[in-house]
Amino acid sequence: MIMAKSTNPNNMLSKDFVYQFAASRAFGRKDTSCFAARFSGLYRSSDGGTTWHRAFTSSNMGEEFPALAVVVPPDPEDERDIFVGIKGGILRSSDDGQNWESPLHSTPPSTVSALAISPNFIQDGTLFAGTLEDGVFRSSDRGWQWAAWNFGLMDLRTLCLAISPNFTSDEMLFVGTQSGIFRSTNGGRAWREVDLPVGYQAVLSLAFSPDFAQDTTLFAGTEKRGLLRSTDAGQTWVRLGRPVLSGPINGIYPGPDFSKKPVLLVLEGGILLASRDGGSTWKIWRKERLTRRDITAVYAPDGFGPKAPVLVGYVDGTIDRI
Amino acid sequence: MTKSDKKWQTPGVVFQPKVYEGLRGGINTLVNAIRPTLGPLPRCVVNDRTYGSSRAELLDDGGIIARRIIQLSNREEDMGAMYLRQVLWKMHETIGDGAATAAVMFQTIYNEGLRYIVAGGSAMRLRQHLEAASQVILEELDGMVTHLDGREQYARLAETICYDPELAKMLGEIFDIIGAYGRLDVRPGRGRELEREYIEGMYWEGGLFSREFIQDPLLGRAEVENTALLISDLEIKEPQDLLPVLDMAIGANFKTLVVIASAVSDQALSVLLSKPNREKIQAVAVKAPARDTVNRSKALEDLALLTGGRAFFQAAGDTLSTVQIDDLGQARRAWADRDSFGISGGRGDPRRLRQHIAQLRSALNNTDGSEEHKRLQERIGILMGGTAVLWVGGNSPITIEARKALAERTAEAMRGALREGVLPGGGIALLACQPALQKKRRSAKDPDEHAAYTILLNAVETPIRTLIDNAGFKPDKVLGEINSAGPGFGFDARQGHLVEMAQSGICDAASVVKAATFSAIHGAALALTIDVLIHLKNPPSSYHAP
Repeated sequence: MIMAKSTNPNNMLSKDFVYQFAASRAFGRKDTSCFAARFSGLYRSSDGGTTWHRAFTSSNMGEEFPALAVVVPPDPEDERDIFVGIKGGILRSSDDGQNWESPLHSTPPSTVSALAISPNFIQDGTLFAGTLEDGVFRSSDRGWQWAAWNFGLMDLRTLCLAISPNFTSDEMLFVGTQSGIFRSTNGGRAWREVDLPVGYQAVLSLAFSPDFAQDTTLFAGTEKRGLLRSTDAGQTWVRLGRPVLSGPINGIYPGPDFSKKPVLLVLEGGILLASRDGGSTWKIWRKERLTRRDITAVYAPDGFGPKAPVLVGYVDGTIDRI
Repeated sequence: MTKSDKKWQTPGVVFQPKVYEGLRGGINTLVNAIRPTLGPLPRCVVNDRTYGSSRAELLDDGGIIARRIIQLSNREEDMGAMYLRQVLWKMHETIGDGAATAAVMFQTIYNEGLRYIVAGGSAMRLRQHLEAASQVILEELDGMVTHLDGREQYARLAETICYDPELAKMLGEIFDIIGAYGRLDVRPGRGRELEREYIEGMYWEGGLFSREFIQDPLLGRAEVENTALLISDLEIKEPQDLLPVLDMAIGANFKTLVVIASAVSDQALSVLLSKPNREKIQAVAVKAPARDTVNRSKALEDLALLTGGRAFFQAAGDTLSTVQIDDLGQARRAWADRDSFGISGGRGDPRRLRQHIAQLRSALNNTDGSEEHKRLQERIGILMGGTAVLWVGGNSPITIEARKALAERTAEAMRGALREGVLPGGGIALLACQPALQKKRRSAKDPDEHAAYTILLNAVETPIRTLIDNAGFKPDKVLGEINSAGPGFGFDARQGHLVEMAQSGICDAASVVKAATFSAIHGAALALTIDVLIHLKNPPSSYHAP
């Protein structure tokens, strides 16, 4: 499952916020590392999310940086690379976090608010960085060199990015900005604006259906107008879940078998809501266990079944594994 | 004075039947000159010399041919030709293609309409029925519209317009990047090949006031970051007028400032370039974009919206003394060279910017004036955040100029196709309107209405007949084969056999076909109602050479 950046960093640079989780496809395996991007820096867990330690502890890291976004290659064979979006650029480690470099040198420095990695990263070495002021950057050499790819991107204030699960064949990429969504069908080379039924709303989150190749479905979460769905690869959109979903949609999590079992979770404000009918009806997910109302990030690569591991991050930096 | 000159000096009023004879002669002359150029295998028309050149000109575009024919020797025929010329040139200017299709349809409608009127039909009633029947065709065409996607489909479309495979491939890639509204700057190339370049951000014409602003002589341009912008068309003469603005920007912690003005005196420039001032703030002065006041004020308004500033206009009585800190625009980056300046990351409200672009698009789709159309297209293109530059090379200045014009024309038609979709090409879309016209004709009770549908049944067949004939095949035979093959099949004139149109990718821009149909029917219907011609003693020189 490809998930997008989940919060509007403009509004949330105060507490020890959990912005995003990342792990390779082998998340379920006990020895696999997973990462949490937090305001107080990057954290790593080597036991599937039960205990967490600071990841910026290597010798060449002089100070802590707020980590706004994190991605790792999806392939378990390639999991020594880690990319972190920070205020001022990107930090990159190619040795599992032992040493860090900052390969993105834009002037003036950019705040990287979102990262998206190609599902075929092991072969194409492609990843994208969305910035708060300078639009989208692309690297095609495993994150060593970056260049701005903003042709046609009328709004450079990027809040979230989402890359197609079939990026290798369809080269499709979406970016959510302060004024709506832009779509690229040529790997970010050019962007076209997308008409939304809710006008020029800030889009905080984007998520592709895992079966995007078949159902061409994706979702967008807005700041003030709830959840949107497209079933034609992002060309047209409809609003879902009114009037229940009316607050900021900070995260969208379609189930791994979405086209057959349309389970969809969204993070609205600080509450996790679930729909089992693709977005028509909603109720609070695991109300009895998730009692807090300040959730900021969720990670559930294996879905939301009773046995599937789910990571939940909160506004104060704490993380629960459910 | 020659006999012909005398005739042109003679005033008079001309009545029927001389009016019909004259108009028909002129229309036929003009259309017969354009007819050979219709289709993918056009024959050329040679103009003995162009304005400003002693060389013959090779023409294969109906609109240009119409433009080149500026007078016929017979005065009545001249009026007919000039009437049609105006119709075709307007189409050429606004749509970019389709003049030849419109011309041959116009000729059929006029000649057959005339035959009907001479036989006792009513010109006015025929006109009304023709105009009403045009809707039947337009609705049928709307039902056949499909949309293209991707560079390969765009390239195939381009080839059906320009018949230049190399140019078509390049335009296919460019339009895949820029879309229907993006900015395309076609420039004469320095070599023999076609080249393209993509420039991110927005830029306008209007370069630096002084070379002294250039920081990097090799790059030949000035670049500033996190800059404030003074947006104006003011003439800054006195250095002391500028000082408060500099102080204000310095006070607001700006390290750089771009001053946009229509003129800056040497004394004012020296203030911006003085070392003490440059240590406090790096200022760059650039010329306000566009030469004419209307374009300039629009460009400055766009800049203000993009950067979140306010534009100051001389005409509105603005002066530098009224500038407040909130009036300055802001951008992440700005650059300027000798000829132009650009910005990226304007700090204006992106929602307002997108709303503004949507309004401009709406205005663009509702305007048919070519100048206004071009102006709006240019503004939208700039604001959309990227420009494709196509450098058109060639063996000589004349071939470069001709290919550049072809590229511009093709691009204009492609924009229409991207916005409004495409139709099966090669005249097939118009031919496919015949069943609807036949149905309407069967239900027509009025003889004039019946005649209108009969005329249009032939008119929609004329483009494909002409195309087949121009390619060296027999129209009756090929049309019979197309009818036998059934719907979806058409004639590929290049290959010389029938093809399935959707698969072969032969298509025409819907906007072009519809505009050609509308112009031909409405133009010819109106021409059929002309009963009297008036000649002046000294006719005004209304036919301007390009």
